[in-house]
Amino acid sequence: MKKIEFKVDNIAVSVVMFIVCVSLISVMFMQFKTVEETDITEIESMRETELRETLSEWKTKYEQTNEKLEDTKNKIEEYNQKMEKNEETSVLIDKELEQSKLNIGKTDVEGEGVVIKLNDNDDNDIIASDLIELINELRYAGAEAISINDIRIINSTEIVDLDNFSYISVGEQRLESPYVVKAIGNQTYLSSILNLKDSGYIDKYKNSGKSVEFETKKKVEILKYNGDMNYKYLEIEEDQ
Amino acid sequence: MIFVAIIIGCLIGALIGINSPIIPYTYSGYLAIAIIAALDSVFGGIYATINKNFDLKIFVSGFFGNAILSILLTYLGQKLNVDIYLAAIVVFVGRMFNNLAIIRRHYLNKFIEYREEKKKKDMDKKEV
Repeated sequence: MKKIEFKVDNIAVSVVMFIVCVSLISVMFMQFKTVEETDITEIESMRETELRETLSEWKTKYEQTNEKLEDTKNKIEEYNQKMEKNEETSVLIDKELEQSKLNIGKTDVEGEGVVIKLNDNDDNDIIASDLIELINELRYAGAEAISINDIRIINSTEIVDLDNFSYISVGEQRLESPYVVKAIGNQTYLSSILNLKDSGYIDKYKNSGKSVEFETKKKVEILKYNGDMNYKYLEIEEDQ
Repeated sequence: MIFVAIIIGCLIGALIGINSPIIPYTYSGYLAIAIIAALDSVFGGIYATINKNFDLKIFVSGFFGNAILSILLTYLGQKLNVDIYLAAIVVFVGRMFNNLAIIRRHYLNKFIEYREEKKKKDMDKKEV
């Protein structure tokens, strides 16, 4: 399309035109390519304001996520604390259980106390009421645990004569003489109450001709209760 | 000779452009302005050819000078926070349309003259 109509060297014009065309077309194609590529990679083609907007969006998102993270951390903290509390309560419950077991006689125990031996002799047999009285006396004197021939005496333990006083049933077991009654408690209380002159248990029974031996011990061992403790008729009242 | 140089130049330019790496987006704006300036120079050159006062020195200096100047102005505009490239585009594209209109009219006139001459010749032949 270009007509050159002066007396310039044709070769020089051709060379110049060649250079011009190369530079123009190459730059144009470069630009085409760049525009196409940047359409694909969105971020680079965005203008500054758009980039700023997206940046602020991301910032808010980041902040929100941070808040959520904080919340979750707090929750975890709470749960941890609760867990610790639970552990504490479980420790407490364990202690309570231990205490309850101690109270109802489900554990072997030891401590200072007294041992009383009751024997049948030729004149007098020991009967259930003798043992019951002794146990009552012991409890009155503050005994914390009592056993007869290593059978633990608990709330429900019965002490009855069987077969016309031929033997005594304690806690569903038949016992025969000698009866060894062990009690844990304050030694001085126990011995002083049992050894009261004339009116005390030992004197009274000795006087009535029964063989009674009394002994204080620094360490008395009392075994745990071995029977079952199933209640068929008891129910816990719910209103309370 | 010149046409061959132009065609070969276009082909080689296309090859170089296709195989060249991508320019960072920030610089592609400057490049676009430079391309517009160069195209304006080309159309100006064509217009000058039609007017029969084409000067190679003016063409070449316009071609490269306008491109570089427009890039510099755009850069300055960016620094001043003024969209100078808009003014450059308006000027260059406006001039391009002017030149194109002149070129179109020139060739249209030529075409019409050519047809009228043909008609005349035909008439002459018939008369003969």
